[in-house]
Amino acid sequence: MIRPSFPAALLVAAALTAFGSVAWAAGKIFPYPYVQEDLPNGLRLITVPTGYPNIVALFIVVSSGSRNEVEPGKSGFAHLFEHLMFRGTKEFPSEKYQAEIKDAGAASNAFTTDDFTAFHTTFSKEDLPRILSMEADRFQHLEYSPEAFKTETLAVLGEYNKNSASPISKLFETLRATAFTTHTYRHTTMGFLADIQAFPQEYEYSRQFFGRYYRPEYTTIIVSGDVDAKRVRSLVDERWGAWKRGDYNPEIPAEPAQTAPRTAHVDWPSPTLPWVVVAYRGPAFADTTEDTTALDAISRLGFDESSALYQRLVIQDQSVDALRANPPENVDPELFTVLARLKDAANIPAVQKQMIAAVEGFATTQVDAAKLNVLKEHIRYEFALQLNNSESVAQTVGQFVALRRTPESMNRYYDEYAKLTPADIQRVAKKYLVEQGRTVVTLTSAGGTR
Amino acid sequence: MKHLPLAAQLAALLTAGTLAAAPKVVELPGKSPLVTIRFVFTTGAAADPAVKPGVASLTASLLGNSGTKDLTYKQVLDAFYPMAASVGAYSDKEMTTFVGETHVDNLDRFYAIMRDMILHPGWSQEDFTRVRDNAVNALRVGLRGNNDEELGKEELYNLIYAGHPYGHEDLGTGPALEKMSVADLQAFYKKHYTQANLIIGLAGGYPPEFLARVKRDFTALPEGPADSHDFPAPAAIAHNRVTLIQKDTRSVAWSLGFPITVKRGDPDFVALLVMQSWLGQHRSNCRLYDRMRELRGLNYGDYAYVEYFPHGMFTFEPEPNIARQQQIFQIWIRPVEPATATFALRLALFELDRMVKTGITQEEFERTRSFLSKYVNVLTKTKSAELGYAIDSAYYGIPNYNEYVKTGLAKLTLDAVDGAIRRNLRAENIQIVGVAKDTEALKMELTVGAATPMHYNSPKPQDVMDEDKIVEKFPLKLRAEDVTVVPVGTVFEGQ
Repeated sequence: MIRPSFPAALLVAAALTAFGSVAWAAGKIFPYPYVQEDLPNGLRLITVPTGYPNIVALFIVVSSGSRNEVEPGKSGFAHLFEHLMFRGTKEFPSEKYQAEIKDAGAASNAFTTDDFTAFHTTFSKEDLPRILSMEADRFQHLEYSPEAFKTETLAVLGEYNKNSASPISKLFETLRATAFTTHTYRHTTMGFLADIQAFPQEYEYSRQFFGRYYRPEYTTIIVSGDVDAKRVRSLVDERWGAWKRGDYNPEIPAEPAQTAPRTAHVDWPSPTLPWVVVAYRGPAFADTTEDTTALDAISRLGFDESSALYQRLVIQDQSVDALRANPPENVDPELFTVLARLKDAANIPAVQKQMIAAVEGFATTQVDAAKLNVLKEHIRYEFALQLNNSESVAQTVGQFVALRRTPESMNRYYDEYAKLTPADIQRVAKKYLVEQGRTVVTLTSAGGTR
Repeated sequence: MKHLPLAAQLAALLTAGTLAAAPKVVELPGKSPLVTIRFVFTTGAAADPAVKPGVASLTASLLGNSGTKDLTYKQVLDAFYPMAASVGAYSDKEMTTFVGETHVDNLDRFYAIMRDMILHPGWSQEDFTRVRDNAVNALRVGLRGNNDEELGKEELYNLIYAGHPYGHEDLGTGPALEKMSVADLQAFYKKHYTQANLIIGLAGGYPPEFLARVKRDFTALPEGPADSHDFPAPAAIAHNRVTLIQKDTRSVAWSLGFPITVKRGDPDFVALLVMQSWLGQHRSNCRLYDRMRELRGLNYGDYAYVEYFPHGMFTFEPEPNIARQQQIFQIWIRPVEPATATFALRLALFELDRMVKTGITQEEFERTRSFLSKYVNVLTKTKSAELGYAIDSAYYGIPNYNEYVKTGLAKLTLDAVDGAIRRNLRAENIQIVGVAKDTEALKMELTVGAATPMHYNSPKPQDVMDEDKIVEKFPLKLRAEDVTVVPVGTVFEGQ
């Protein structure tokens, strides 16, 4: 979720109070001065000195996620590749890489989403040169044997297995497969189970995947914390400068327009509480129109703890024990979703009806301007509370970099939020939150009442 | 207490031989525009009356998720909304924590509500019913239904501590929660929410006069008494024993362990931290992870602990303020394919056995020590975590945690680590918990003692194949009567 913001006055106060005198460009929302530069090979570097002492957070974003898995039978590959990146190189075999990470006392991990894969490491500032070197080495010279590849595919199957205990994974797997027929968002980031089980035979394809996407033009390095931008640039030039640009551009199939509502149901094999997810085909992330901010506002005004629906279903009649909405914030058009867990499957029809009415009501009734102003205040403080260490600064920047490859996107997005009006929200709701773009998926225990 | 540096404060506390007179205070003042408030009561599930398991946890949940005497819960939520603030409440065996974070702009308004949630709860029946339903669902659905790993980890503690004040799930049991009333919670609150049990924690850019106000307000609580945390030792485990929880699931989740007598502050603690990091550093490369996942592809990860660490599948760093006087050594084996379940268990025990017998090498010791002396900073990267650790340090009677660990590591030797391993750990007399579908077949495999060979999808080096020949026959020493099968529907359904 994108959840940052900052009004100018608060921002300056915060920056000055927390970090003494901080040079800060007037009118910008992001409180930290940052340097964004491109190497000749297309690699982008963003350095964010935060004023927090000693610690450096490195966040490397590769613009390759499950969205890029265009070939049939190859779902889950971006995520598998996140794993393979820890399998080592000639210079730093896996054991040596891990030994260096241990020696640096670093916390290191990675994750994959629909649109990108991120590798993040947090460590003491004196270890920046060696960590940047090791990262440069594995991004350019990853080498793993067919045997190591096969073993790693089993760790991914293990990940699927541990996730499979939760009905939420299955619910969203089904939602994606129902709401999308063509676009790669049809599968989740984990991928289809059958594809995961076939991974061990795909060594050659994995090399091809690496050759396509682990390239400078797909990669952005974010370094935040106790750092100097010039020094970081010179380290990056030295270790990443020789990395060769690639030439691959995937053709992501466009999803055809949805013309009628869809439904699906999941029978869960063991006892659980019922779930309902109501989803609508939404737009791609936008930072220069009100589409994304309006849907974010709807997700909060309609379904946050203070909302009328939450109060009715969770606090008063208590038929629901969890309710939340998520706006689409992806590179390509994705889903606006509202998710509820019910206490009794008998209430599914009634609750589902109220969820739909709450969403689609935004198209017919304008939101209260005072409530929208309270929301804007909420969002500003939420952002202030979020940026409480260098790691979360890097992560916040990373979310926007994954979408637009620049922290400027954050400034644009919050400018849009500040301008948002009740009429904007209604206009966006009318465009996207409509019956013909709706998909509803329910999940109940097998044999239980629906 | 004035705005002394933390080390000085803790020194003062320690000089007194115990925590300072109630209410105790831990402060980390700073220039940040954010303020963190932690109210920690040194009470929890260990104080649950035998017939009311879960009352401590439910009391904390109700206070943290309901209205006050002046505000309905809706009004509380509406008031917090523009501040993007909330109060978190959680409870463990010996500690119950209320934590809030706010921008200093909103401190007065935020604090006034948070204070009233704790000092003047609304006790509304409507809030109670909602929060109790949540607890029942967290137990029966969240834990038992949807999270095999956490189910195994939690049940491991409940089995090890059977008959002990720690011996029930913090959330309670289904039947006990269903019978519970607001009056039960009020009785618990009255007895245990005392000044003698309270530690006030403040961090960030709050004004200097703020502490005095907080201290004054909290004199509204009864003065005492403080909970006693002088617990008996758990019953000895005479031989390996297994509980298999039967449920419809794809894979097999294992947890295993036994009680240890070492806690934070004890002489062997830092040595055991090195052991823990080497054998099973949480969500990171470590011996178990390397041998089980990286080399053999058995699962998603394998870790070891000497302190309680709940929700490990959702978090990389442990939550502070779950301090305990008694801990267990634990190995967490993430879900494995059923066909390799017994082999995975054997491999974990084989690695434990090897470590107990031969210790670790000088090089491994030095690398792990170097890692921990820096990694400890990552644990306290936010003010809220730093404050939580400082409160725990006051509770355990140790200096600032980072300094305590770094100083301990600097003095540590390989011999001390190996000695601590030999003194405190073992590869026998272990409680094992498995969550699996085909429990009868698994029970048979565990007790018959036949080899359970591993089959790979790719060639392995000869040394691994040779090791597997030993592992596949590693003696589990389990008789039929040592393995109990329970249907998942019966877990947490006792009194």
